[in-house]
Amino acid sequence: MILRTENVTQRFGGLVAVNNVSLEVQEGEIVGIIGPNGAGKTTFLNCISGFYTPTEGKIYFKDEDITGVPSYKLCKKGIARTFQLVRTFPKMTALENVKTALIYGGSDFKGNLDERAAEILEEVGFAVDHNAIAESLNTMQMKRLMLARAIATKCELLLLDEVAAGLTTAELPDFIALVKKIRDSGVTIICIEHVMKFISNTCDRVIVISFGQKIAEGTPQEVLSNPVVIESYLGKEDE
Amino acid sequence: MKNELYNRLSAPLKKIGLSPLSVAAFILLALFPFVSPNAYITKLGITCIMWGTLAMGFDFSVGYINVSNWGYAGLMGLGAYVSALLLKFFDITPWAGMIIAGCTAAAIGFVIAVLTMRMDAMFTALLAWFVGIVLQNIVTALPEITRGAMGLNVKPIFRGASPTPYYYLILAICILTFCVLHIFVNSKFGFSFKALGQDIEAAKAIGISPFKYRTINFVVSCFVAGLVGGFYGHYIGVLSPNVLGTKNVVQILVIAYIGGRGSIWGPLLASFLLMPIFESMNSLVEIKYIIYGLVLIISMIFFPGGICKLPEKVRQIIKDRKK
Repeated sequence: MILRTENVTQRFGGLVAVNNVSLEVQEGEIVGIIGPNGAGKTTFLNCISGFYTPTEGKIYFKDEDITGVPSYKLCKKGIARTFQLVRTFPKMTALENVKTALIYGGSDFKGNLDERAAEILEEVGFAVDHNAIAESLNTMQMKRLMLARAIATKCELLLLDEVAAGLTTAELPDFIALVKKIRDSGVTIICIEHVMKFISNTCDRVIVISFGQKIAEGTPQEVLSNPVVIESYLGKEDE
Repeated sequence: MKNELYNRLSAPLKKIGLSPLSVAAFILLALFPFVSPNAYITKLGITCIMWGTLAMGFDFSVGYINVSNWGYAGLMGLGAYVSALLLKFFDITPWAGMIIAGCTAAAIGFVIAVLTMRMDAMFTALLAWFVGIVLQNIVTALPEITRGAMGLNVKPIFRGASPTPYYYLILAICILTFCVLHIFVNSKFGFSFKALGQDIEAAKAIGISPFKYRTINFVVSCFVAGLVGGFYGHYIGVLSPNVLGTKNVVQILVIAYIGGRGSIWGPLLASFLLMPIFESMNSLVEIKYIIYGLVLIISMIFFPGGICKLPEKVRQIIKDRKK
C-alpha cells in the first residue's frame, strides 16, 4: 500500500471542507476523485501533498506518517503534484522548468541535466521548442510541461488536479494514453477530474466526495451508475 | 568568426561570473580616473559605482526571489557605523571593519529571514523596513557612542585628498559583488531562487524549501549592503542617522527597478545613467524625492522590464525588420 489516509478532516474556521475521508491506494493504481464543485477534492489533495496540515486524521505514505510534513519534503520522499490552474515558472524556458525539478526533486540526478530534461519533455509529448519561455505556451503545452516537471522529481505517487480540464475532445485520447504511460513506468496516480471520459478510460477505482464526505467508492462503472452519486451531481428528482 | 571568438572567451569567464562584455565595461571603468578631468568627476564615478553596487545587491533579492528589502539603507548605514566605530573605539583597521560590517548586516538579515521567510514576501519587506527604522533611531538615541544627529567623523582609509584610491577600492568591491552574485545565479542556487521568485507554490511542489533558499539569498544580499556601507563611511567622512533612512532605500529601489529586475547588470548600468542626474538635483532637496517617485511610476508604466530588457527588444526589432 502506497498511501493511506485515516479520517482526514480539514476545517477552515466553521467550514468543514473535508470530513472524515479515509482512502487506501495500492501501488500501480490510478484512483480518481470526483465530486461536484466545491466538494473538497482539491483541499483533500492539498492535505496529501503537504500544502495543508489536516485538522484531524492521519496520512501515511508507504507506512510512514507524513501528516503535516511540508510539501517540499514530501516531494523528496516521492510525492509530486500538478495544479488545477497551471503553474509554471513563467520567465524560465520549458527546459529550465524541468531542469529545476531535476535538481531539487527526489531524483538525485547526477548526469547531464539538459539531456535528461529534454528526454522527459519528449516523454510527455511536449512538441514545441524546448527553449520557449513558459509563459508563451498554450494551455495544452503548459499542462504537459507541468507533468514533465512532476515526473522529473522522480515521484512514486503523482497527484493530478484536473489535468484534463480545458482540453479539446481531440486532445483527450492523447492525454489519456500519456497518463497510462506514466502509470506503466511505475508511478501510482491519484487524479481529480470532471471529464468523465478521462475517468472511465483511465481509473481503476473512483471515490466520490460530496460536501467534504466520501459518499461512494468502486470501479468507474459502478460509481457512475450509483443513484447516490447521480443525486449529488444532478440533485434529487422531483416526486 | 567573431562569434567563435566570443564563445571561446565567454566559457571560462562565465565560471567566475563575468562575460566578455562585462570585462570590457570594467576595463573602461578602471581607466576612467586617467581621463577624469578633476576630483569632482572622479567622486561622481565613485557615487555611481557605489549606488550601483547597492542596487545590484538589492536586485539579487527583489529580482530573483521577489523579496523587496525595504531596510536596505538601514543595513548599509549599520555597516557604515559598525566599521567607523570599530576604528574609533577599538582601532580595528577599516579593511577588517568593512568585512565585519558586511557580516553584521548579514547577521541582521539572517534574523529577519528566520522570522519571516516562511511567510509571504511582504512580511519580510515590512520587517526589514521596521528594522531599518529601529536602527536609525538607535543611532540617534546613543549620542555618547555615535554622536547621534551631530554627526560622526570617520577616519579615512587612505591618506591624502585624492579620491582615486577610493575609486579603485569601490570598483574592486563592485566587481567582486558582480562576480559573486553571478556565480550564485549561474549555479544550481540560481534555479531555486528564480523558481521561488516566479511561483512559490510550484517551487514547493518540486522540492524547493522556500525558507532555506530565500534565507541564503537574503543573507548574501544583506552582506553586500553592509560591505558597501563600511566603505561609504570611510569615504564620505561624516555619518549621520539620515544615512539609514527610508529615503536612501527609495533611491536604491529607483535605480534597481529602472535597471530591470533579475539581471544584476541592469541596476549597475542604471546607476551610471541616474546618479549623475540625481546628484545634479541635490539643490532641490526634498523635491528630489517627488521626482524619484514620478520617474519610478513612469518607468513602471511605460517600461516595466527596465534597462535589462533593452537588448532583447532591440534583437526583436532587428528580427522583425529582417522578415
